[in-house]
Amino acid sequence: MWLEECDSFAELCRGYLPYYLLIVLPIFIIISPVNPVAASHEFPVYRMHQYDLHGVPHGCRSAPISLEARSLTGWSTSRHCVVAKALDVTSSVFKSIKSKAGALVIVLPEKMNELTAEEREHIINLEAYMMYESETMIPVYFALWHPDLQTILDDIADGFITDEKAGSAAEAMYNSISASGYQVVVATGQALPKTDVKVATLYGKLTGTGAEEKLPTIAIVTHYDSAGVAPELSFGADSNASGIAMLLEIARLFSALYSTGRSRPQYNLVFIATGAGKLNYQGSKKWLEDQLDGLEGSIIQDAAYVICLDTVSASDNLFMHVSKPPKENSSGSLFHKELMIVSKSLNTNNVTIVHKKINLAEETLAWEHERYSIRRLPAATLSTLENHENPIRTTILDIANHEQVDTLYKHTQVVSEALARHIYNLSSSQIFAGPLDVSKESLSLWFNYFASQPRAASLLTDKYNLLVGTLKEAMARYLGDIKVTFHIPDKRDPEFVFYDVAKATLNVYSVKPAVFDLFLTIGIVLYLGILYMIVHNFSHVYSLATKLSAKNKTS
Amino acid sequence: MTLYHFGNCLALVYVPYYLTYKYSGLSEYGAFWKCIQAGGIYIFTQLVKMLALATFFPTADNVGEEGFDVFGEFLKSSIDLADLAGILLVLNGIPGKGHAKVLTAGIGWAGAEVLLTRFLLLWVGARGAEFDWKYIQKSLESNINLVQHITTATLVWLWSRHDLRRGLVPVVIGMLVLTVYRPLILDFLTSFLLAGPWSTLIIKAVTTFFMGATTLHIYAGLAHSIGIF
Repeated sequence: MWLEECDSFAELCRGYLPYYLLIVLPIFIIISPVNPVAASHEFPVYRMHQYDLHGVPHGCRSAPISLEARSLTGWSTSRHCVVAKALDVTSSVFKSIKSKAGALVIVLPEKMNELTAEEREHIINLEAYMMYESETMIPVYFALWHPDLQTILDDIADGFITDEKAGSAAEAMYNSISASGYQVVVATGQALPKTDVKVATLYGKLTGTGAEEKLPTIAIVTHYDSAGVAPELSFGADSNASGIAMLLEIARLFSALYSTGRSRPQYNLVFIATGAGKLNYQGSKKWLEDQLDGLEGSIIQDAAYVICLDTVSASDNLFMHVSKPPKENSSGSLFHKELMIVSKSLNTNNVTIVHKKINLAEETLAWEHERYSIRRLPAATLSTLENHENPIRTTILDIANHEQVDTLYKHTQVVSEALARHIYNLSSSQIFAGPLDVSKESLSLWFNYFASQPRAASLLTDKYNLLVGTLKEAMARYLGDIKVTFHIPDKRDPEFVFYDVAKATLNVYSVKPAVFDLFLTIGIVLYLGILYMIVHNFSHVYSLATKLSAKNKTS
Repeated sequence: MTLYHFGNCLALVYVPYYLTYKYSGLSEYGAFWKCIQAGGIYIFTQLVKMLALATFFPTADNVGEEGFDVFGEFLKSSIDLADLAGILLVLNGIPGKGHAKVLTAGIGWAGAEVLLTRFLLLWVGARGAEFDWKYIQKSLESNINLVQHITTATLVWLWSRHDLRRGLVPVVIGMLVLTVYRPLILDFLTSFLLAGPWSTLIIKAVTTFFMGATTLHIYAGLAHSIGIF
């Protein structure tokens, strides 16, 4: 009997059907799209930064992922993509992942602005480690917290404890068959160097009364870009949206003073918003080269003083960083004196001078004013940070909160007032008061605007960038003669190279192991076998039914 | 998931149809062409139904509104009465003898449905990287549908017979109406019981089994009395 059944099964296969399938299936496979399904989960993810500075590669060197998702404890080989929360990843863990795993997806905390001090420190430390250690060869992505992502995190944390920890062999086998896994796919190409890189530096000036060339010039400089471990997540509120907001506010105040002939002082004011400040102040460097080494005379040539603004809203203290202590009666020391007097009269903390020599052996300069000091221009940086190594200047945690505007307002008052007194050589009355006071609305408007945009240098390199355009318009409102110079890195030996793929889409597919499919086939074959028996022996069922109805009729 | 998984699903959907066709004796009658004709009538019926739906229920587009519009759904399900008419057309239009007639109608009808509704779904869905039990469930559901359609065809045939016992007529008509409104009732039940897809499938299987068994019982009685073997 069994032989007979085998025969009929063989007959099944001997029919025409298999031949049709042989033709039809390949045709279908050829004409169908490559990946016809949308993943059940899609998340925007932000890639870790990647750039070369002075020929030295930095950051993450790879972009595409197509690997199995594993938890921090579950991963073992380079075929696994580690998906973990930022607070669980330490630098040592990151180090081992970097060298042995296939990829890393870091899920940021749910509420970025409600972290405890320890959590902040943890993330900042991790970030610093990721940024300043040697390059990372695996793709590293950051994802914002999302409930679905949390589910996936929980799932992969629960599964995959299997092999070693499972009790019996049967249990381990069951686990490995039934385990539902996740396939992590980021379908981008490899990150390529950006070709059309133009770093814009904007400047405009207010001209004093008298012969323009003979007047002393004060320059106010700030860089507008930000830095963080992921370009698309570096909003840089303190560093340096605060600086650019203060610059615009000072420009606004002084443009009012310069607009009427009677109050126009005998000083030129130059406002410079530099690009790529986080990359060793490339914008300032290039701008200085253009200005000083150019053929025609420059506005910065005989600058009386250069004031750089950097991170001016992080604390209540204000520091004046200089490369060498200002001499008695030089404009530097006079300006500092004014700062002290004004801060005393406004009841804010004293402005202290911090002296740090330029260390050319370092890879990067400490403060922006050093670029100017190298070119023998008297310069200083005003900042609320005492040390240039403060990690707040390069973190993705540097996001806007409402206290910053108040601090910024206070410091703007001090700086603008001191500058005005210095320019007019007045020391008693308050100049910016009444209708000509520092406007908190204007400050917070610009601060919030810039702090809401990711401003990593690599994102602002196209020629018609919206943010640079807005900045230009804002400066043009107060200053005459806005010029934009572009820093285009040298083709052969670029000082810096940016790479694309800052942002991508993470697809997470839930998948089953291949063994599962095999077991499914066995199940299906069994099911079909039973069905075959039923269909084959249906005549018995039918005769039973007939008997039953016949009985019914007779009874 | 993969092509392999797609193969699994395909086997699960189509092999039962093939087995039924092969071992119910239809292949011996050479009823393949008749089955295709039945499928053609199925397609025609669906077109008519779609036209009717599009004409009389233009608001069917905005799905996703909350609440379960029982009356509207009821009317929409009533369109499915056209299916019965279609099956009647198949039974009258296609010559056949005895059991083969009913089976041809049922299998042709169900086969056309499964080809038109399942193949593309599986091709698009089950072949991707994502795994979902949905496709296995759909495949099993189409197996249940096969039984269901054969039952429906039998019921329509029974209804069209004049030598059916008087007492059984209300039962047959009742079951036909139940067949038409079964999806609606099941939908209502699942949303009411908050049943998962697996339990929905089981409910479907059980109801279909009972309806099938009852129909078989009535059919066997009639067939015996008029002498079809």
